[in-house]
Amino acid sequence: MSPKKKEPKTEPKPQNTADVKIGSIKFPISEAFRFSLESIRKRFTRALITAFSVLLGIAFMVAIMTMGIILPLIDQTPPPQYQTWMAIIALLVCGVGIVNSMLMSVTERYKEIGTIKCLGATDTNVLQIFLIEALLLGVLGGVIGACAGWGATTVIYMINQPQYVDRILNTTNFVTYFTYIGEGIGIASLLSVAAAAYPAVYAARLNPAEALRYEV
Amino acid sequence: MGEAVSAVKVVDVHKIYHLKGEEVHALQGINLEIPHGEYLSVMGPSGSGKTTLFNMIGGIDRPTKGDIFIDGVDLSKIPSRAMAWLRCQKIGYIFQTFNLIPVLTARENVALPMTFLGVPKAERQQRAAELLTIVGLGDRLDHRPTELSGGQQQRVAIARALANNPAIILADEPTGNLDLNTGFAIVQLLYRLKAERGTTIICATHDLKMIDISDRVVFLRDGTVENIEKRRGLVLSAEEFEE
Repeated sequence: MSPKKKEPKTEPKPQNTADVKIGSIKFPISEAFRFSLESIRKRFTRALITAFSVLLGIAFMVAIMTMGIILPLIDQTPPPQYQTWMAIIALLVCGVGIVNSMLMSVTERYKEIGTIKCLGATDTNVLQIFLIEALLLGVLGGVIGACAGWGATTVIYMINQPQYVDRILNTTNFVTYFTYIGEGIGIASLLSVAAAAYPAVYAARLNPAEALRYEV
Repeated sequence: MGEAVSAVKVVDVHKIYHLKGEEVHALQGINLEIPHGEYLSVMGPSGSGKTTLFNMIGGIDRPTKGDIFIDGVDLSKIPSRAMAWLRCQKIGYIFQTFNLIPVLTARENVALPMTFLGVPKAERQQRAAELLTIVGLGDRLDHRPTELSGGQQQRVAIARALANNPAIILADEPTGNLDLNTGFAIVQLLYRLKAERGTTIICATHDLKMIDISDRVVFLRDGTVENIEKRRGLVLSAEEFEE
């Protein structure tokens, strides 16, 4: 999923300059993680909106999957095939939403990207920062969305069909429930990172000189 | 100068931009040699290529033709990762628009360049606090840029530029967005840094206060060096500046 940054073709070969020692940038992934976390924490409203779109898509998907289990238990026909497709389309819509909001976030942070590149961030560092941010948002939206989707579906059926509560809450079903929730979280993370790939590569490739010239 | 390696050496640098199919010759053969510890002012009307020259020296853009040496390292011969290191370790940037990271506090902003060199967290926190104290903001460590005045933001930016003890400080119109008094305080601060730390300072400016304290002034026009003037005789003494 993580796109590799292509080195520009004009890149000169490293050369040993005899008397001058050139070091290298050390920006471990843990620092990138911390930076992303700070960014999210300090722009929390925006982050919540992005995470919310993941949340809704995943909640819908997990709800449909859970219905596939619960409906046969309460002697009803499972949801028809087209509902799965609806869930997939819902996920695509939320993917496009993430691309959009990440692109906005990059535009908003042009100067910031230019500045950290001036201060020593490499293209890879910038890429990491944006991808980690997307991953965190995906996990956040995924966890809440998957639990909410499963919870809402189960509760609704338990209220509507109280006579089946035992069957719905039968311990053997919980393995499947947890699998679905896990799948929901996984898909949410993948989706979020995949959708952020283009904006992140775009940010990483920004020429610092141009990014700094940009007036918001 | 002499045998010692210059802080910056610019050899016949050209830069051509392509704007909507038209070629713009931003720099047309610049030659400059800046020894360590010099305070160099660069003057010129807007569009004369000051910022372009700064971008080249600062390693955030590559010249179309010509070579730039920072501390003896030829920028055209190193890969972009080494360039990032050079930007981080050798060069401190001060911008007209401050360019602090809005989500980070003053202390975190100053500590940021140190993270790229792998300085442990406790050490960079402490160093950032020391630097902020040097620029007179010891009591503003945990303020965000939006909670600081323009002059204070520029002080944070100067502290950030000093974070990795760079050999060169590149200041692109550092007083351009500040009122007279605040600008004067920033000039004093830069002058003090040059005097105390021997940092090479290259400063683009329209500000006559800054011209007066520089060792040399370079005048740019239409992408060429029009004139280089020594100002040694005119330098004000540090005491006069403390007034």
